[in-house]
Amino acid sequence: MRLTNISFKGIAAGMLLAVSGAFLAGCDDFLDQEVKGNNTSEKFYDTRYKLQASLNAVYDILQSDAMQDTDWRFGEAIGDNVVGRDEGLSSHMGQLAHFRFNTSNNYILNRWTIYYKGIHRVNQVIANIDRARLSTDDYSAYKDIREILGQAKFLRAYFYFNLARTFGGVPIRPEVEEVDKIVVPRSTLEQTYAYIEKDLREAAIMLPARYTSNNSGKASSGAATALLMKVLMYQAKPGVPSEKWEEMTRLGDYFVKGASLKFKDMLHYPENYDGEDWESLRKRLWFKPQELNKETDPYETAENECPTLLNAYSLRYVDAYGGAITYDQQFYLQGEFCQGSIFEIVFKESGDGTTGDTNEGNSIYMNMFPAAYNSADGAQVPIFGDQAIITTIIFTGSNAADARRRFIMGHHETTPDMENTEIGAGHLLPLKWYTPLKDRPVYGGDNGKNRRVLRYADVVLMYAEALNECGKGAQALEQLNSNKKVVNEINNSSTLYIGGGYGYLRQQIWDERTIELCYEWERFFDIVRQGRAKECLKIFSDLRSNRRGAYFKEGVNEIFPIPQREIDLSNGIVTQNPGY
Amino acid sequence: MKAIIIPIAALGLALASCSDDKATQPTAAFTVDANRVEVNQSVTVRFTGNADNVVVFPGDQGQDYDLIKENNTGLVVNKGLFTYAYSTPGTYKMVCVATNHADEGMSLLSDTCSTWIRVIDDATEIEKISAYPVVRDEIFATQCNDADWLMAFPRKMRYQSGNPAVTLSRKLKFYTASQSTAVLVGGEPYSASKSYDLSAVLDITTRSHEGTERAYKLHTLYYGEFKTFAVAGVKGTIERDPFDYNNYVMNITVAEGTDLSALKPEFTLFADNEKVYIGNEEQTSGVSVVDFTKPVTYRFVTTSTENPQISVESTCVVNIK
Repeated sequence: MRLTNISFKGIAAGMLLAVSGAFLAGCDDFLDQEVKGNNTSEKFYDTRYKLQASLNAVYDILQSDAMQDTDWRFGEAIGDNVVGRDEGLSSHMGQLAHFRFNTSNNYILNRWTIYYKGIHRVNQVIANIDRARLSTDDYSAYKDIREILGQAKFLRAYFYFNLARTFGGVPIRPEVEEVDKIVVPRSTLEQTYAYIEKDLREAAIMLPARYTSNNSGKASSGAATALLMKVLMYQAKPGVPSEKWEEMTRLGDYFVKGASLKFKDMLHYPENYDGEDWESLRKRLWFKPQELNKETDPYETAENECPTLLNAYSLRYVDAYGGAITYDQQFYLQGEFCQGSIFEIVFKESGDGTTGDTNEGNSIYMNMFPAAYNSADGAQVPIFGDQAIITTIIFTGSNAADARRRFIMGHHETTPDMENTEIGAGHLLPLKWYTPLKDRPVYGGDNGKNRRVLRYADVVLMYAEALNECGKGAQALEQLNSNKKVVNEINNSSTLYIGGGYGYLRQQIWDERTIELCYEWERFFDIVRQGRAKECLKIFSDLRSNRRGAYFKEGVNEIFPIPQREIDLSNGIVTQNPGY
Repeated sequence: MKAIIIPIAALGLALASCSDDKATQPTAAFTVDANRVEVNQSVTVRFTGNADNVVVFPGDQGQDYDLIKENNTGLVVNKGLFTYAYSTPGTYKMVCVATNHADEGMSLLSDTCSTWIRVIDDATEIEKISAYPVVRDEIFATQCNDADWLMAFPRKMRYQSGNPAVTLSRKLKFYTASQSTAVLVGGEPYSASKSYDLSAVLDITTRSHEGTERAYKLHTLYYGEFKTFAVAGVKGTIERDPFDYNNYVMNITVAEGTDLSALKPEFTLFADNEKVYIGNEEQTSGVSVVDFTKPVTYRFVTTSTENPQISVESTCVVNIK
């Protein structure tokens, strides 16, 4: 009986093997078959619509909660303008905010991961752009592809820039990843910035001055130029003459004053192009090839002028159609793509605002300014302002009565549309994070408030700073006061910044940056760039009972450690930053 | 029955052993890659003991294990790896605390071990020197060579509608490469609130935490300018630029019909170490003949009385109509 059983089992096993074999053989055939009706990596990118879809996937990363989350944590929460709810040393966030983290800190890893995710997606667009096949020889068909590539270059530069100012020089991923070259060593900071600059310079000549109407959210030439100015500013050192400052003034002359700037000057062509001839460069950037040009088609040469940015953007508080808005409305639905806004991350609310759909805008500003939605949530707001910070750090000296102060709401104060802010005694919230009642869908919770990333006021202040660094104090003061004059119209003030030497002007420009750009998630990077992070965080930590910021180590904490996981996985090929 | 008992017994054993694991006494042990490091240099600590939770107290301010009752705290070790850089020099006791929870979390077993870390700081370098405030400005000195720094002031500054005088009694700011570097001015410890007399060369000494000293000199010069200037019997006054401290302008209107091509301006300067030139030709008051049919740029050179290699230049453009 037993033997019989065994035999039976043996037969069953044999049958099972045979059947499995048959299935496996079948799998083999199945895998060999051509996929029908689906996109493959070879064919996916062959039309501009498919390329646009792949570019949309990159914009999608910008909208992700993960990216917004890391941006406010690094740009704002660890700086000297806000108090954090989570500043206990037992949490990774608390450790980060106190500069008492280890190299395995989750938030450092998250930042690295989401930005490289963006880079991976954008490289797909750039690497496959030449797969595009056009159904027409029209100039506009080339222009469409060119603008997709230009936006991709802007976005790649944006991702690498945020990595560079967080980590220093980072690995530059190849556009086409290869399995046996998955570990890429770090480039130097100079190489990383050169890579970023090249993308931005090319994007600036490929894109229109600004997009309007249905295309408003796309990155424009204005965005590429503004970011290029910022990238140059982060490479230059205050008080040290440099070509970076000089070039910023030329870009400012072009952007703000309407001076002419030729393609070759924007690109640094031919010196940065290692023998690449102009026609090859044109083809690579999807300018219509010369041999296909019709008589009516424009032909771009290195002598062409970059698109005129003068009048495309304005310091005045006016919407896209020129209608007047208020200062705070620049940050609301009404002020989306307003004339002071250069690049925004677009969030579109879902149909009815009910939960369950994946609206990326949902949690970001609602977490930042939740009081109006539900007073109980006020106690959960992750970061907030503080009266002592406002008076000691942001609105100081002659700026104490600056009109922008009223756009920061305290406990029990009401927003301009009369909502009560319930955020806990002594806490303050900026209206830059607020979503007015009328901008919220019926069911609440879900809103499509855009995040302003690059604003014209920032460009003007960068220009002013560069002019001052280049010994052009009078012009710097003119730019600095051009923003202040518009602010003064809010409360009919006549307080302007005053002419003086380099040090005095620089301090006034930095003071104006502190106010104009406060709570826009740039503060920490700005004070690091200015070389005064230690000094600013010392003033801040003296105001705080938990002394947050006191542990900031000058010479080390200006940049963060490469996440330990990257060091470990690369077997040490990716090296760590000094001091970590 | 037997078949049932054996698995239950095995399970019991397994559970018992789990419970024993939880209550194990932790052992604290670590290695460091260096016991003598410089400021901001990484110390890599690898935990080689056995514990659920590991915390390292580097021993510097706020992180000293011996001051744990005074709210000093340590830093969490993850995956047995911890890196740290000290920002101030000194000798620190680095303590590793290894803990395990026992009694279902009701009590804590711990073990500690420690090592000494010596942090060296021998920096004596000055990165920047400034005078602050000068009216509202912070004026930075320039470095001439390894030892000499030069501060240059205008005699007056244009601020709003006034021209406040700039005296040579000023507060100074020193930006040193290391915060631990001591600065001595004229042999006395530097004070941020003291006004120093800059009319003579200041001897500055920096002393590193290790005791190395380095000597610097701070020279202060005024930009040269006309104390008085008159041509064809008409006095001129210099106009200052609020942004530019060493380039001035003077506009003079003389009697109609005056021949501007060969005038002999009469002028005085403020000090003997100031010279004035047109191009490279030194000008002498009442002697030098100047053609004022076009604006003339006077160039002033002020030279340090202690070191002739150190000088500052300024200009004044004189327009005569």
